[in-house]
Amino acid sequence: MGEVEVPALVDADLEIAPAEFVVILGPSGSGKSTLLNLIGGVDQPTTGRVWYRKTDLSGLSDGALTDFRRLKIGFIFQFYNLVPTLTAYENIEVATELVDDPLDPQEALRLVDLADRADHFPAQLSGGEQQRVAIARALAKRPELVLADEPTGAIDLTNARRVLSILQRLNREQELTVILITHNPAISEIGGRVVRLASGRIAEYRDINEPIPAEEVTW
Amino acid sequence: MSVLRRKLRRELTSSLGTLGSIVAIIAVGTSSLVGLASAQRILETSQFAYYRDYRFADFWIDVKKAPLTAVERVERLPGVAAVETRVVFDVILDLPDEIRPIAGRLISAPPRHFDRALNGVCLIRGSGFSDDRGEEVIVSESFARAHDLEPGDRLALIVNRKRESFLIVGTAISPEYVYMVRGEGDFMPDPQHFGILYVKDYYAREVLDFKDACNQIVGLLTPGAVQNVDLLLERMERLLEPYGVLAKTPRERQASHRFLTDEIRGLGITAGIMPTIFLGVAALVLNILMTRLAQRQRVVIGTLKALGYSNGQVLLHFLSFGVVVGVVGGAVGDALGVLMAVGMIEMYKEFFHFPTFVYQTYPDLIIFGLGISTLFAVGGTAKGVWSVLQLQPAEAMRQKPPERGGAIFLERLPRLWRLLGFRSQMALRSLARNRVRTLTVIISSALATSIILLSLVMYDSMFYLLEFQFERVAHSDVDIGMRDEKSRAALFEARDLPGVDYAEPLLGLACELRNGSRARRLGIMGLARTHRLTSPTRPDLTPIEIPPEGLVLSNKLAEVLGVGIGDTLDLTPVRGRRDTRRVRVASLAEGFLGLECYADLNYLSRLVGEASAVNSVQFSVDPAETTALYRTIKGLPNAQALSVRADTKRVIEDTLVATTIFSLGLMIIFAGLIAFGSTLNTSLVEIGDRVRDISTFRVLGYQPAQIAGIFLRQNLVTFALGAVLSLPLGYGMVVACAEAYDTELFRMPVIIRPIVVVITVLTASVFVLSAQWFVYRSVCKLDWQEGVKVKE
Repeated sequence: MGEVEVPALVDADLEIAPAEFVVILGPSGSGKSTLLNLIGGVDQPTTGRVWYRKTDLSGLSDGALTDFRRLKIGFIFQFYNLVPTLTAYENIEVATELVDDPLDPQEALRLVDLADRADHFPAQLSGGEQQRVAIARALAKRPELVLADEPTGAIDLTNARRVLSILQRLNREQELTVILITHNPAISEIGGRVVRLASGRIAEYRDINEPIPAEEVTW
Repeated sequence: MSVLRRKLRRELTSSLGTLGSIVAIIAVGTSSLVGLASAQRILETSQFAYYRDYRFADFWIDVKKAPLTAVERVERLPGVAAVETRVVFDVILDLPDEIRPIAGRLISAPPRHFDRALNGVCLIRGSGFSDDRGEEVIVSESFARAHDLEPGDRLALIVNRKRESFLIVGTAISPEYVYMVRGEGDFMPDPQHFGILYVKDYYAREVLDFKDACNQIVGLLTPGAVQNVDLLLERMERLLEPYGVLAKTPRERQASHRFLTDEIRGLGITAGIMPTIFLGVAALVLNILMTRLAQRQRVVIGTLKALGYSNGQVLLHFLSFGVVVGVVGGAVGDALGVLMAVGMIEMYKEFFHFPTFVYQTYPDLIIFGLGISTLFAVGGTAKGVWSVLQLQPAEAMRQKPPERGGAIFLERLPRLWRLLGFRSQMALRSLARNRVRTLTVIISSALATSIILLSLVMYDSMFYLLEFQFERVAHSDVDIGMRDEKSRAALFEARDLPGVDYAEPLLGLACELRNGSRARRLGIMGLARTHRLTSPTRPDLTPIEIPPEGLVLSNKLAEVLGVGIGDTLDLTPVRGRRDTRRVRVASLAEGFLGLECYADLNYLSRLVGEASAVNSVQFSVDPAETTALYRTIKGLPNAQALSVRADTKRVIEDTLVATTIFSLGLMIIFAGLIAFGSTLNTSLVEIGDRVRDISTFRVLGYQPAQIAGIFLRQNLVTFALGAVLSLPLGYGMVVACAEAYDTELFRMPVIIRPIVVVITVLTASVFVLSAQWFVYRSVCKLDWQEGVKVKE
C-alpha cells in the first residue's frame, strides 16, 4: 500500500474442504481480503504457499494463474465490479465467453431472480440487483469455488438476505464450495465454519452445527 | 470477444469529442504525408516523362559564333549521343497594347517536327509553322495568355536593328522553360514581361546573319557519360575555343531544371519532417488519454483479469481503441492528402509548365499513411495501458491511492501563493502533480507555436528579400542592355532620351573566376565611380564603397569559391582577349539571388583591355514621361534587353503573396490544430478525473464558467511555457530551413522581427482559447448530481 510495507497476513494456516461454506470474519485491516485474494489466485504471497487441491498456486506463472481463475473460481466483489457500459446480460456474457460449457446467461439471471432485467445497464439497477447480477456472473462459469468479498457490504438488509440465500442454496443444492469474507458478525454463522482473523493472524476456528438461514439474518 | 467489442463500441461513441480531436491530429499528420509525398511523385513523374518525350538536353554551350562544321567535331566526341545547333538572341518586343517595350528571347527551331528536336517545342494552340512565310513565330503559352495573344495575331520584334512584324502561328511550352526565368539572377517567372519566341531556323540565320553558323549548341549524352559531363564540356570548350565560348551549362545547372528539381527535393524533405511532428504529437496526446482511460478502468481491468482474461486479451481490447483511432484518422488523412496533392499541383501549374501532369493516387502511400497512423496510435495506447496491466488483479481493483499530496515548489513563497486565488492554486498544483501530462501539452504548444513562427518568418523574409533586392541594392527604374559594347558616347546619348532624369553606365563582364579547383562562370557588374542606381550592400545594410581596384563578392560567391577578403582569384573573360588576370577580393556584400560580383567600371575595362566599355545603361526616370521613353526605346536599334524594376518587383510580390498565403496558411492551420487538440484533450481528460471535485463546486454554488476558469488558468500557464520554449525551437527551425534553401540560385534571409513573434503568439493563442470553449461546454454538460454520490 502506498510507500510503506504492511504485512497483511502472517502465519495463516487454513484448510478448506470441498462443498464447505466458510465465513472468514474480521474487522477492516485484519487481512481477510488478502486471504481471499490469495486463495482466488488474484494476488501472490510474499512467503508461504497456497494449495488448491494438488496445485501450488504460489509457484504458478501468470498464464497458469489466469487459467486457474478462469476455470475454477467465481468471484463476487463488494462493489459488484460490473462493466458500466454493458447490460446485465452482457456482463454475464463477459464471463461465459471464457469457458467451453457455461451456463446460459439468461439461465444465470433466472437463478438470481433477474430474468426480466437482462437489458438493463448497471446504472439502472439498484445496489442489490447489481450484486445479484455479479453473483450470476460468478456462477455462469460453473466454478468449483465461489469467493465472496463482503457481498452484502454495500446493500440494504432485504437485498442482503436475498444474496446470502442464493449462496446458501447453491452450496446446499449444488455442493458449491463457498468462502465468504465479512466484518459483520451477524452473518458469520450462515455457513458451516467461521474463521476469525485479527491483525493479520487467525485468531479462532469454529464449526457451526446449525447454520442460520439467510432470511433470518438481521443487523 | 464479441461482448468486449460491444463495450468498445459504446465507449468510443460516448467519448467522440475527445477521440475526435486526436483523430483530427492524426488526420492532419497523415494528410501531410500523403499530400506532400504524392505531389512530389507527381512532379517527379511528370518531369521525367516531359524530359524524355521532348528530349530535354544534357548540356548547352553558348558561343559568339561557330560554324556548323566545327560543331560536327563536337558530335563525334565519345559520350555525345546527339547535338543540335541553335541561334538564340535576346530581343525587344513591341506589342500593340503595351506602351512598354517587352523583353523576349528568340530561339531558332526546325520548321517541321520541332517537337522532336532537342528541347522540343510542345505546341499548345495553333497549327505551328507553315511553308507560307519566314516571319512566323510560336510564342510561349504563358506569355501569350498574359497579353491575350492568339494564333493569327501579329507581333513586332526589333531584330538586327530592324523592326519586323511576325505572325503568331502557335503557342507552346518546352522542357527548357518549365520554370520560365531568363536565367540565373531571376527567381520568379514574369510572363507579363518576358516571353520565348520560336522562329524558323533558316529565317533566323538569315535575318541575324548566322548563315551556316550558330551561337548555341545543345546536346544529349549517352547514359554512361552523364556523370562526366563537366569533363566532356571542357573538351568541347577546347574544340570550340576559337569561336568564343561564352558559357557552358550542364543540365544540373540549367535554371529551369534547378528550380524544378530543388522544389521536388524540398517537397520530399518536408514530407518526411511534417508528418513525423504531427503524428508524434498525436501519439503523445493519445498516450495521455489512454493512460487515463486505463486508470479509470482499473477496476474493470482487474475484474476481467479476476474472471480469467489474460493480459494479452485485455491488452488487445484496449489496443482496439488505438486501432480504431489510428485507422479512422489514417483514412480521413489519406482522403485529405489526396485532395491536398491535387490542390498543390493546381498551384504548381502557375509556375511549372508541363504538357500534362501525370496525376495518380499512390496505393503504397495510402497504405503506408494508414499503417503509420495506426502504428503511432497503437503505440500511444499500448504505452498508456501497459502499466495498469502489469498490476495484479487485486491491486488493480483497489482504487488508486490518492494523488501524492504535498506542497509544490511555488508554495514555498507564501506571500505570492496567497495572492493567487484558490482556482489558480488548484490549477498550478494540478500542473505540478501531473508532470507527464503537463509536459505533453507544453511540448505540443511549443511545437505548434514554432511551426507558426516558421511560417510567418518565411513570409516576412521573402518580403525582406524583395525590399533588399529591389529597394536597397537596385534603385534604377529602367535598365537597358545593349547588343554590342559601346563607348561612353552611348551614355551621353542615353541621357538625352525623353524622361530620363539620370543615367548611369554599367559594364557587365562575362568571365570565369577561379580559385584552384573551384571556379564559377558569372557576370561581374562594373559600376561607375559615381554609381547611385546600384548599391551593393553589407549585411548590416550599410552601402559598400566600390574600391578602385579589386572585386566585391557576394557572401555566397565567396563561400562557393572558398575565398575571403584579401585573397586573390584568377579572372578569365569569356569574350575578346581571354588572358587570365589575378584579382583581389576587396570586400564582401550581402545578396540573396544568384552569385553577385561588383567592381569599378574603369578597373574592369582596363582588365579586359578596352577603354571605357559600356554595355548597359541604368536610368532613373520621370514617372510622367515613361510613355515617351518607351516609344523611343522601341525604336532603338541597339537595345536588346530591358527590365523595369517596379514591374519586376510587383510581379514577384503578387505571385509570392498568392502562393505563400495558401501554403503557409495551411501550415498555420495544421499547427493550430495540434495546439487546439492537445490542449482540449488534456483538459477533457482532467475533467473526467475530477468529476467529484467539479460536482462538489457545483453543489457549493459555483457557476460552470467559474469552474472552467481553473482549466483556463492551467491552459494559459502551459501555453505561456510552450510559447517561451517555441522561441528557441522556432529559431532553430528557421535556421534549418534557411540552410535547406541555401543554394547558389537563391537564399532565404533569416530575419525575425519582434512584431512577427507577437503575431505568432497571438495566432497560437487563438487556437488554444477556442479549445477553452469546448472545455466550458464540457463542464456545463457534466452530470454533477451523479458526481456527488458515493461511488466505489
